[in-house]
Amino acid sequence: MKKQIFLQNMFSERKNSDIDKLVNDALKAEPDYFLPDNFADMVAEKVAEKFAWQQYVLEFLIYFGVVIGLAAVVVAMQFIFFGAQWQNWLHFITENIFVIAGISLLTVFVLFTDKVLLKYFLYRSAHSKELI
Amino acid sequence: MNDKDLVQQVLNGNKNAFRFLVANHQRLVIHIVGRIIQNKEDIEDICQEVFIKVFRKIKHFRGDSRLSTWIARIAYNTSISHIRKYQKDEQSYDENPAIVAGHTNGEPNHKSLERKEAKQFLLEKIEQLPVHYRTVLTLYHLEEFSYKEIEEITEMPEGTIKSYLSRARKILKEKLEKVVENEKTNIFTEYV
Repeated sequence: MKKQIFLQNMFSERKNSDIDKLVNDALKAEPDYFLPDNFADMVAEKVAEKFAWQQYVLEFLIYFGVVIGLAAVVVAMQFIFFGAQWQNWLHFITENIFVIAGISLLTVFVLFTDKVLLKYFLYRSAHSKELI
Repeated sequence: MNDKDLVQQVLNGNKNAFRFLVANHQRLVIHIVGRIIQNKEDIEDICQEVFIKVFRKIKHFRGDSRLSTWIARIAYNTSISHIRKYQKDEQSYDENPAIVAGHTNGEPNHKSLERKEAKQFLLEKIEQLPVHYRTVLTLYHLEEFSYKEIEEITEMPEGTIKSYLSRARKILKEKLEKVVENEKTNIFTEYV
């Protein structure tokens, strides 16, 4: 009787440790998910493209800020040192609003094209040649 | 190259350094994302999203923890946000009482359960556990993070993590024992 209980306990302990071993193995087993072999290259390219775009936009904004800043300094100097009258300026602006708006838009467009679009497309075309 | 040097290289705009970072951590990220998301079609996109976030936020990496812990945290948060957004109805996001109690169906009907099948059976059961259980199991057993690191990644208290781990293990054991009892298989004597 004692022997039977001993054997039962032994079998139960062994079964328990085997189940533990199986559970441990399953928990450490690699799940069945895969990424493509070129995943790292793909992500690095995507990020580099985003990074380049952000850099170009930042550069454009810096240039734009500098141009606006310079214009503001010139206007301020006109008022402070040369006694310019704001009514005259307002009159001039309202009379030539379309010309002023057109020139401003054209300047911004040229600056944007030069600093962002052109660089970005050059980057992309260089990159697509690299891939070929 | 240590974590700080690698981060510095990435911050300097070195594309190869970032490629190296992705290659070194993609296994970790896919394990976390895969275990949480489960929809195989979404996994690759979310892994990409994780690494793009890593790139954007890398300037905030202070080096207080390992880089892998920091990346794992981003992967965890991105995956949880994804299932909150797109899988609101997924039962296993919260603790499904039936799953936690181990009363779900789906045990195999095989006459005898072979060793490999037992492992596969357990892997399937892991996938059916509630999301927080799967996450801590993956981080602890597969990625071998410490409790402290898992706490950092998931923001769960250490006690909760320990409880999830032990309950998940208990559920898996019970499921396997149930199958063993039902099928009267002798795989375990062969397994050793």
